[in-house]
Formats: sequence, C-alpha cells, structure tokens
Amino acid sequence: MAALLRSSRLLNFSPSGVLKITGTKVIGPPLSRLYSGALGGQRAGVGSRQFTRCSENVSRPAWPYVAGSMRGYALATEHKEDGSLGLRSKQAQQFDWALAKLDSSVRRTGRVTKTLLLRIFHDNCRTGHPSGNQALLLLRSCGSLLPEIPMAERTELAHRIWEKLQELGAMYDASHYNALLKVYLQNEFKFSPTDFLAKMEAANVLPNRVTYQRLIAAYCQEGDIEGASTILGFMKSKDLAITEAVFNSLVTGHARSGDIESAKNILLVMRGAGIEPGPDTYVALLNAYAEKGDITSIKQTIEVAENADCSLMHRDMMQVIFSLARAGYQQHVPEMTELMRHDRGYVPDAMNLCLSLITQGMEDTAFGILKSFPALQGEAPNTDGPSLGSFFLRHCVHMDMPVEKVTHYCKELQESNLHTTPLHFTLACALEARKTDMCLSLMKVLKEQGLPVRPHFFYPLLTRHVKDKNTAGVLEVVRGMLQLEVSPAAETFTNYIIPAFTSIEEARKAFKDEGLTLESEYFLSAEVRSVASSNLAKFYTMLSDPAFPVMEIGNFRGSLTVGFKKFSDIESMVKITDLLYRDARFTRGNSQATDTASFLLYNLVDSMTEAEVHAHETKLREYFNKLSDQKITISFNIYRGMRNLLDSYHVPELIKDVLKLVDPKEMTSPAPNTVSRTTGTGGKLEMLETKLAELKAENKPVGVVVKQIILALCAKEDLERALEMKQQYEDEMTTGTYAVLINLCCRHDNVEEALSLKRELSRRDSSVALDASKYIALMNALTKSGRVEEAMDILKEMKEKEVAVSDANASLLFHVLNNLGAKGDAGSIRQLQDTLFSLGLAKPTANLCSPLVTAYLHSNDLSAALEAAMECQKRYGQLPRIHDIIVGLVETGDTELLQKAMDFVSQERGEMTMLYDLYFAFMQTNRFREARKIIETPGLRAKPGRLQWYAEKCIAGNQMESLEQMVEMTAKLFECDRDEMYSYILRSCKSTNDWKKAEAVWTKMQEENVVPRERTLRMLADILKTNGQEVPFDVPKTWYEQDASIREDKTPQPATAAPPVPPPPTGSDLQVRLLGLCKKGRVKEAMDMLMQAGPDVALGAAVYDHIIRALLATGALEDAMTVKHMAISRSPGFQLSDLAINLLIITYSRRGQATDARQTLNAMVQADHVPSQLSITRLVQELGNQGDVTAIQEVETLIKGLGLAPQLSSMVFVNNTALAHIKNGDLATAIELLEGMYTSPESTHPSMAFVFRKIYEQNNEQAIDKLAAMAERLANHFACYRPATDLFFQLLEMNKLEEAKSMLVRCGGLAEQKDILLSYTSRMARRPGQVGKIKALQSLIPDYTEKDVHYSYLMKCYGVDNDLSSAKALFDQMVAEGVSVHELSLKRLAALYRNAGEALPFPEPPESFKFYSDKLKESVSRSQSAEE
Amino acid sequence: MAATSKKVFEVFVSKIPWTIAMKEMREYFGQFGQVKKCLLPFDKETGFHRGFCWIGFTTEDGLNNALQKDLHTLEGAKIQVQKNRRAFAGARTNKESEESILV
Repeated sequence: MAALLRSSRLLNFSPSGVLKITGTKVIGPPLSRLYSGALGGQRAGVGSRQFTRCSENVSRPAWPYVAGSMRGYALATEHKEDGSLGLRSKQAQQFDWALAKLDSSVRRTGRVTKTLLLRIFHDNCRTGHPSGNQALLLLRSCGSLLPEIPMAERTELAHRIWEKLQELGAMYDASHYNALLKVYLQNEFKFSPTDFLAKMEAANVLPNRVTYQRLIAAYCQEGDIEGASTILGFMKSKDLAITEAVFNSLVTGHARSGDIESAKNILLVMRGAGIEPGPDTYVALLNAYAEKGDITSIKQTIEVAENADCSLMHRDMMQVIFSLARAGYQQHVPEMTELMRHDRGYVPDAMNLCLSLITQGMEDTAFGILKSFPALQGEAPNTDGPSLGSFFLRHCVHMDMPVEKVTHYCKELQESNLHTTPLHFTLACALEARKTDMCLSLMKVLKEQGLPVRPHFFYPLLTRHVKDKNTAGVLEVVRGMLQLEVSPAAETFTNYIIPAFTSIEEARKAFKDEGLTLESEYFLSAEVRSVASSNLAKFYTMLSDPAFPVMEIGNFRGSLTVGFKKFSDIESMVKITDLLYRDARFTRGNSQATDTASFLLYNLVDSMTEAEVHAHETKLREYFNKLSDQKITISFNIYRGMRNLLDSYHVPELIKDVLKLVDPKEMTSPAPNTVSRTTGTGGKLEMLETKLAELKAENKPVGVVVKQIILALCAKEDLERALEMKQQYEDEMTTGTYAVLINLCCRHDNVEEALSLKRELSRRDSSVALDASKYIALMNALTKSGRVEEAMDILKEMKEKEVAVSDANASLLFHVLNNLGAKGDAGSIRQLQDTLFSLGLAKPTANLCSPLVTAYLHSNDLSAALEAAMECQKRYGQLPRIHDIIVGLVETGDTELLQKAMDFVSQERGEMTMLYDLYFAFMQTNRFREARKIIETPGLRAKPGRLQWYAEKCIAGNQMESLEQMVEMTAKLFECDRDEMYSYILRSCKSTNDWKKAEAVWTKMQEENVVPRERTLRMLADILKTNGQEVPFDVPKTWYEQDASIREDKTPQPATAAPPVPPPPTGSDLQVRLLGLCKKGRVKEAMDMLMQAGPDVALGAAVYDHIIRALLATGALEDAMTVKHMAISRSPGFQLSDLAINLLIITYSRRGQATDARQTLNAMVQADHVPSQLSITRLVQELGNQGDVTAIQEVETLIKGLGLAPQLSSMVFVNNTALAHIKNGDLATAIELLEGMYTSPESTHPSMAFVFRKIYEQNNEQAIDKLAAMAERLANHFACYRPATDLFFQLLEMNKLEEAKSMLVRCGGLAEQKDILLSYTSRMARRPGQVGKIKALQSLIPDYTEKDVHYSYLMKCYGVDNDLSSAKALFDQMVAEGVSVHELSLKRLAALYRNAGEALPFPEPPESFKFYSDKLKESVSRSQSAEE
Repeated sequence: MAATSKKVFEVFVSKIPWTIAMKEMREYFGQFGQVKKCLLPFDKETGFHRGFCWIGFTTEDGLNNALQKDLHTLEGAKIQVQKNRRAFAGARTNKESEESILV
C-alpha cells in the first residue's frame, strides 16, 4: 500500500526538471521546448497534474472521478468478442450494455441522467439475477454523477437500488459497501458510521482500509474529530496504511469543528509523517476557508499550493466556488471564476457545476459562471450559430423555474449573442417535459415577441393526453391554442385531438359544451377517416353522395388501406376503387383520377406484410379480377411495382391477376428468373486415378481428371509426382494447373522449375496472368536465392498485366521484404520497395515500409535506421519501427540523434505522439523516473491503443515492474480506462500466478473508485481460486470457467505455426514430424510414432489435439481416445479443442453411439464451448434414426438455450422429430407436427426433403402415403407448396415419373412454383450425370421455365458430363428452333470440342468464361432493375 | 426502361428545426419549383417531428434548383438538402433470382 502513499507531486514536472530527464546532458534545452510547448498549456511552471484525479477525498463534493473508472468501454467489447468461443450470459451482456451507456454519458458530459440510470436499473430488475458489478455500477452512479438531482433524492435512489438488487439476489462485498459510503459522502447524507459497520458485520463482510478511510471522512464531514480519531486509532492498531486521503479528511474535520488552525496544522503533521500535502489537501483547506467566506486566505492558500508545485486545476477551483456559493458568499464567485484556467474538459465540468448550483437553487450564481464560458465552445457542435446555455435552460425547465426568470435568462443569452434561439429551445424542453402551463406561458411570450406559434407546437402536449384518453387535458390544450389564436390544422385535429375521444360525436359535443368552436370540415374528414377504416359500405355511401365536398385522397388513404386490408367486403372495395377511378373529386391537383386508384392498389399491397398477402391471397385475386371486370386499368409502372412486391412476398400466382389489369397497350415481356450456385467437388486421389485409367481405356477425354489429379497432388505437396503428371499429360495442361504447379515449386524453393513452367505457360499464351499471391510466391523464391533483379521484373509484369494486390497479398509482400530485413539486406529491400511503390502495386503501409528499418536495426546501425524511417515518413507518411529506434537511441544515450528523432516525430506526427514514443522508450529501458515526467506532461491524454500496445508487450515479455509502473503513472492521465489498466496487471499476475499482487490490485481499484468489468473480476477470482484463496466477492461460476478455458485454448493454438514455449529439442522435432504426418493423412504413422516416443517427450497440447482430430477424421475412435488419455496424463490440464470435440460427437453419432455423443455435447456446452452445426445435425439425425423423440427435444432445448438456434435450421429438429415418430410407428404425431409447422402463420416454409428421402430409403409405404397426402393437402388447401415440391423432387430423384405426373394432376399449383423448380434445375445442373432429371422435369412441366434457360442448363449439364455428342445435338436443335444461344453456352460447347480434340465449327467467344458469366449476371440484374 | 412519367423528383431534407412544420417546408421549397409532395414524419410518441423530410417536385428543374443552392437557411437554421437516396419500395427483389444462370 505504501506505493499509493508515494506522492507523485514530488516528481512534478517543470521545465527545469526536463533537463534531468535523461541525465544532465542527455537531452538538452531543445527538448524542453517540446514539453512546455503548445500542448503544455499557457503557462510555464504549471504543475503536471491537470486532469482527473481519482483519489479519495471526502470533502470534495461532486466531481465525476468515477469517470476515470469507466473509460474505454469499446475495448472491452472487443475483448468479449474474441471470447465468442464461449457463451455469453445475458447478465454479462446487460452489464456490457449498461457500462457502455453510462461510460459514453460520463465520457461526453461527466454526468449521468436519471432516466438512463433508472432505465438500466429497471432492466436489471426485469431480467433478474443482477450480478455484483452491475450493482456496483448502479450504486457508483448515485452520487455526484447526478448533478441534476437533489442530493437527498440521490441517496434515496441508492437505497432503493441497494435493497431491490439485494432482494433479487445480488451479492454484496466490501466494494459495494465502500461504494455506498462514497455515495453517502458525495450526497452529504447523514448516517451513523457505527451502525454502518454493524450492518457490514451482520452481513459478514469485512471492512477494509478503504471502508475505514471513508468512515473517517464521514465523521469529518460532520466535524466530528472524536469519531474520526476512534477509527483512525483502530486503523493504526490494525496496521493499516494512513494515506493522504485520511489527512485530507482531517483537514475538513477540524475546519468543520470550527478549528481552522488545527486544520491548517494537518499539513505540517502530514509532512512529519512523510507525506507531502497534495492538491486534494489544499482543496480541503480552501473549502474550509470558502465555508467561512475568507477570500483572503483562499488566495493565499492558492499561492502556497502553487509554490509547493501543486497547481490547482479548474475542477479544484470549482469545488471552492461551490463551497462559497453554498455558504452564501456568491459575491466572491466571479473573482474565483476568473482564477480558473480553461484546461481541457473545462466546459463539461463547468456545466456540471452550473447544474449542481441550479439544483441547489443558486441559479443566478450558475448563470454568472455560464457567461464566463469560453466563446465558441458551446456544449454541442452546432453549425447554426451559437447555442450556449441550452443545458442551463433545460435544467431550469426541469427545476420548474418561474417563466419570468427563464425568459429573463433567455433574453440575456440572446442579447449577448450566446444563443440564437433560446426561447424556442426552452419551449422545446418544456414540451418534452410536457409542462402544459409553462409551455402556454412560453408561447405567449413568443407571440408577444412577434415570433410564430404554430399548430404543431402543441402536438407534444396532445400526444400524451390522446394516449391516456384524457379528454379534459386535450380540451385544455385546445383552449390554450385558441387563446393564442392558433387554429388547429386538419392534421392536428384528426391525429392529435379526435383519437382521445371515443367517437367523433362525443368530440363534437365536448367541444360544443366547452364553448370551443372549430370549423366543421375537421370533423368531416375525421369522420371520413374513421368510417374508411371501419365500414366500407358506409364509406362508399358517404363519398358517392354528390353533395360530398372535394376531398383529396391523401386525407383518408391511410385509413382506407386499413379498411381494405380487412378484406371483409370485397363488393364495397370494388365500388370504392371504381369511384376513385372515375371521380375527380378525390384526386390531388392536376393528376389523373385513374392514377389515384391505381396508386391505391399499390399502396394496399405495399402496406400488407407477406403473411397478410398469403392469408388473403384468394380475396386479393377476387378483388383484382372484379376490378378487371369493371374495366379498371393500371399503368405498366404500377404493375411492375406490384409485381416486385408480390414476388418478394412469394406469391407470384397473384402476378398474373395484376397483369390482367394492365392497359394492353402498355404490355412488355418479363425477364427470366434464374438461380444458380456452384459447389466444389472433392475427390480422393485414388478415385481420380481409377477414373483416369477408365477414361483412358475408353479413349475418352481426360483433361478434367488430369487437372483434378494435379490439384490433389499439389494439395498433398507432392511436387515430384505433380511434375510427372504434367510431363505425361502436357497437352491437358491448363492455365490454372500451371499456376498451381508454379506455386508448388515456389513453396518447395524450386525457382528454376517455377520459372521454366512460367515460360512454358507464356509460350502458350503470353497474355495469361497469374494471380497476385502466386506472383508474390515467385518473388519470394527469387529473393531468397538473391535474384532481386528478377523479382523486380515479376513486379513489373504484375503491373503490366494489371494484377490486383489485395490486403492479404500485401502481407505476403511484407514477408518477402522482411525475410530480407532479417538478413540485413537493406539494398535489396530498398530496390524492391521503390519498384513496388512507384508502380503503385501496393500502398506504402507502415508494415510494408518497416523491413528497411529492420534491416538497419539488425546491423545495429541506428543512425541509418532513423534516416530510413524519416525517409519513409517523408515519402510515404509512415514511421515504421520508431519505438525500436528510439529505444535503441535511449539505450546508447545518443542524445543528438534522439533529439533529432524527437524533433522529427513531433513535427510530423505531433507532440502527443512524440511524447508517447519517448515515454514508452523510457519505460522499455526501465527509466521510470524520466517516463513519469513525460506521462505527467500537462495536456497529455490517454491513448488507449498505445497503452494497450505497451501493456501487451509487458505481459508477453513478463515485465511486471514496467507494467505496474505504467498503471500507477497513468492514474491521473486524462481519459485513462482504469479498469483496463488494472486488468493488464491481473493478466500478468495470472501468468505468473501471483495472487498476492492480484488481491492488492483489487483494493487499489476500490480506492481509485474503479468499477471492474466482469472479465476483470473473473480473472481476479480465477487467480485467487487457483491458489486456494477465498474469493471475497461474487462471481458467476460459468464465467470463470469459460474465461479460463478460452485462455487455455488460446495459448497452445499458435503452436502449429511456431511453438511459443519451446519444448526440449526432441519434442519440437517430433512435434513437427507428427504434424507433418497428420497433414499428409498418414495418421497411422503419426500414431505409431507417438506411441514409440515414450512419456518423457513433451508435446504441446495442440499436437495431441491435432492427432486426435486426424484420427477421428478417419473414424479411428479408439485410437483417438488412447491419444486423449495419453495427452491428459502427459500434459496436465489438457482439453480437447472445439474442433476435436465436434469431430468426436460426429464420430459417435455415425457409429450409433448416441448416448456418448450426447454426453460429449452436454459436457461441451457446460464448459461453455459452442458445438458446430454439423455435429448437432449429425447427432439429431442419429437420434431421429433411433426414434428418440425426448432426446431430440433435450438437444433442441440445450441448443436454443445457447442462442444458436438461428444459425441452425430449425428443420433439423422438426424433420428428425418427425422421423423419430415415424420410427416409433406414430405417424399421426409426425404429421401433426409437420402440418402444424407449415400452417403456422410465421412459417417460412422450410424444406422437409430430408424426411421424404428417409422414408423412401426405409421404404415405409404407410408413411409415404400419409405424408404424400399431407403434402397435397397443404398445397391444395393452404397454398403451401414446399412439402409437395420436396416430394415431387424426391420422385424425380428416384425416376418415378408416373407418380410425379399423377402428383401434378392432383396438385395443379405445383407446376406454377417456378422459382422452386428453377432452383432445383440449377442445383441439378451443377452435378454430373443429372441431365436426365432436368429433361424429366421439362417433360412433366414443359413451361417450367423459358426455353432458352432450359437449354442453357442442359448445355451446362453436358459440359459437366463432358458429353460432346449430346451437346452438339442440343446446339443443332437450338439453332433449328431459333433459340438464341448465349455466349456462355457457346463457351461451354467450345470447351467440349477442345476436350475431345475436335475443331470448332464456330468462332469461340473470345473472352474468358467468367467474363460471360458476369455479363449474363449483369444483364439479368439489369433487366430486373430496369423493370423496377 | 422508359416510363418516366410517374417519376418523382425528391430531395431529402434534414436538420430541420422543430419549430418548422410541413407548411413552412412547402412554402420554402416552393421557390425552387412546384412541390408535389412533402413528407415530414412526426413521432407519435413525442409529438415532435423527426427532423427530416422528403420534398417531391413535379419537375426535375425543381429538384435541380433546390440542389444547386448550397446553403439553405430556414428561420435562421441551416438545413441540409440532399438528393433522395431512399430506395424505391418495390426494390426488394427475390434474393435467389438475382444470381444468374449457369455459373
């Protein structure tokens, strides 16, 4: 704890101190210029401590020190994100959300609104089970963070939260009691410290140093020195450290007891105890003088503080001002206000001061301060001229200040040009707060000033009354309107007045009774609207009356749509549409009545949801058909809009009905809809080789198979055989195959072969370009063998051939350069970089620039490194590896160069960056004293990214001292995320297993008033637990486990790339070989090798995991288990990775060991790992196989509980549950389940193809009959075609064409499911040998798509099947039938010809395959968008 | 495809002060061309409008005139006028059909 006592003030920075930074001569005067420069603020000799302080001081009333504890929330979210391996409890999410909200509020404004706080509180209550730190977060916010709320109310709120959360099961520990104490102190709440201690004792919570400190503060606040001394004595007896905070409290205590001399003397006592009085001490003393109105002593004390190098900041002064005002000495406030420097963050702090003053009824003092605000620094960036004081006015409104007073402030603000529209703003606030009287008075003032008062000014007042059906309230507002001579517009009337009444009649009467007169047309249009939505027949009668006045459709369109959407009276709908179509009375301006009607149709469909359209499909059809009978027509445009809507609702059946309405003159033809997606086909090498042999025997073209074999060989890294294949089948080589081979050669460092392949390739076609990664691989191979010139030629070729370099490619380039850097080959790097950047192939990023500096650093040439970095900055705006350079300079003590570096950084990147660079260099070299002076530079603010960077460096490098130093030094750094900082120490503690340090961190956090995030607490609990220590707070268990497991998961992971903890040499060698074998699929050998290695060989957890996975992939479950046991016994704490567990579940499921699979899944979920979709699917399928309905349900519940359900098709469960029922012979339940699902209005009509496939596989005729009947029923009665199409495709699949045909007869609508049919076709066309299915489909439903589309799919099939003769025949047929042949089809045909070695009878389209497919895509999408 | 007859020439206006309502908007934008529609949504909960609005001109000229003026000031407040980018409601097409044949 002593460290906390150490006062940083001793080390305060001053220009003369700068000289000492790196010793007497290291950095001379020029550097001091930097420190006292622009950033440093206006004055020389300013103390370092300018911003936030989080120290313990009771006498400070209200400043948001908590702020510091909640900073940087964004980082925490990211942190959580990479924990997505595990599950997140709602609780934690909620905490995250609440923290983010509060944090952003505090960050921006230094305060929290009551609304926000209550919202978070209620959310917590609603979801139940609040966590400990949620409670802490809420409690912390009940003090000075709420300047807008009177103190008593704040304490009351804190108590309410305390009790309610306790009721809901929140566990309180010392940190909560300490937080409550802080709130008491901030709210000046009077309580009995002894009772408080008794309460803690009863709750079995041990008070700690911070508790006692705050109790002393509480006594002192009351001027009870005796009480304070008792506790102080107690602390001493317990050997607890007496910190500066305690002395500061005593200053207040003595002063409040009336003994100002003793108060002053405390400073001497402190010095006697070796503690230098800090700014907080002086503030305590200043407050004491302020309470007496002793301005002379105040000024003297400020001077003393300044002389003690303890300069006071605006926040300190603001406390003194607050004390002065509260004690009734407002007259001294302006004098103090002048003394304040406007440091960073002045405005939000001053705003909070104003708010507090207003809350305490000292608004005039507050207004005086407001006027002292620096110009052009209004609270919100606003382009509309100044708006200073908005916050002030708002709070005045909230505090119910008399209108005269507020308008006086408004006037003054406007006259002094501080605010352009203060009155309007005030009115808006009053409206928001719905203070009717205040609003009306304010509007009166507006009117008197000749400013407009408009009808919509009253809406905010009316909405609430309308919602509450408060007719009296509505009438009151309307009376106010009429008094102000504002006549309610029609809209006001219908939207904001009438709805409060039960009927228009009632409204009419109420107005009459009140003596309020309104024009009758308001009532009429209100009535029209009401009738339109409720009674269409009556509506028609009303409107068709010739006496009905002219009324634009806009007056009632919305209501009419509502009425239409009920579809209860088609007759009237038709009549109304007809009326609107022909009667111009309802048409706006100069548009056509016919358009009015057709727009209505569009609006109707547009306003309906997909489900509604489905539900009313027949009625809509009837309506459209009747309109058609009435000879009502719509424009093609409207048709197109409606068609798109209907399409998106998946009711294309209705489109033809709408089409009938289109004016025949306007008709054009629609474009085809098509679907397609590619899937990769994988194949085992052996299989391919057999196939190759077969093809050769049959004398068929082998090109495709050769290509596949070469690819497979490349994937296996078998260069030799791949080259052999190439040799053997030279003629079958394609560009792609060459590219893969070249890449393989590069990987094997066989440059010559790679280059010769490349030459061969360009002989075939000199225009061919490789992709960027392959070019870079080639470059890498070349530079490795020192052939830089040729590497540059590669770059030039890339440029010539316009090869695009992606970000991923750029990182490859970096590695190429960095390899050279490691060799110190600066010359080559420079050449390559110059070429690279001058050609514009890659952007000069910091990463890409760095290898040059690396090269110099490697050869210990700091001067050249710096020059190189500076050159990079000048040329490319990058400053690579500057930290390493500066560290090097600090270490060698080369002041001149260091000065040069600093000047340069400062000039190019600003002083802030330079200071951080220097800071980290000092930290890195353990020059903490110098570092501290830098970080305490006035004006410096936290740069979370940079701090994190250094912290990570410390954690990785196990530099605890440096890390602790940084955390401590940054305590007062502006905007520093304290929780984040402490969590770095904890992470370091965890890796060194230092629980004592971890525990000390917790106390320090309380003292600093930091609200720890959950992950911080978990980490702490984790450290304590592993060391057998009691955890003094409540931590959700799963969280702890999850966190730990993530950590364990992560550490071994990089082992595959480069083992972070190098095992003994034999181990590492073995490791590489084992991994190699696994990768090559020779897992048996790996297993044998592992068994032979014996138990002494240390292997990383990742290696075991890898082998287990490889074994599982081959189905060798028993072997996998053997390795697992081995791993557990040899590598303590070994856990299977998620991948391995998922594979295990799949293997169990495949083998029918459903119970084992489920146990594994349960264990996985319990350990907060996330199972993969595939493993769940396999398990559920196996359970369905076994007929285990209950188990499926249990798995489903488990998975839904994880929140994974959306990723996993719900049909996995439905289909397999149905299959399980069928397996158990319970067909009825299965059908009920499926039918219920499809008929539910929310159903998205997912596929049940799996069920049909299974029952056909099982040949379960009974099930087939019943489910087929169900499918037809759903199709015919519910227009739900999915099951029917699924069955239909199954029949096609099995070539049961007769059955399929009869199905079409029974379900007429099936043939109209063109989207589904087409997507089936496109799916089929991707797989070889499926052409028959497509032909069968076409024979059954000849018009399932356009002829040209059908033919192109056939051509695609022939291409896939490599069937030239059929393709030729098809081509002839297309030509004969005059069907246009798309270039893509020609391209496919050409490929077939080429494969067969035949000459092309037509010119091949010149561009690439992709070009034409893109072209086709584009034309399809263009025709679609054009239609829209 | 042709058929521009029904095209609306819309601008999207934002940063409208709360004191301005539809009437004022129509009046202001009337100077650039005939205003066909003005949609200024109000929040039914709060009773304030949402600070943005769509103005539809009958002619492209109106639209261009409004867009050409770089500073729009209405009752002392600067309002922002942009070309309307809100997609036409019918643009929700069937995702599946957007992918092309034969790839």
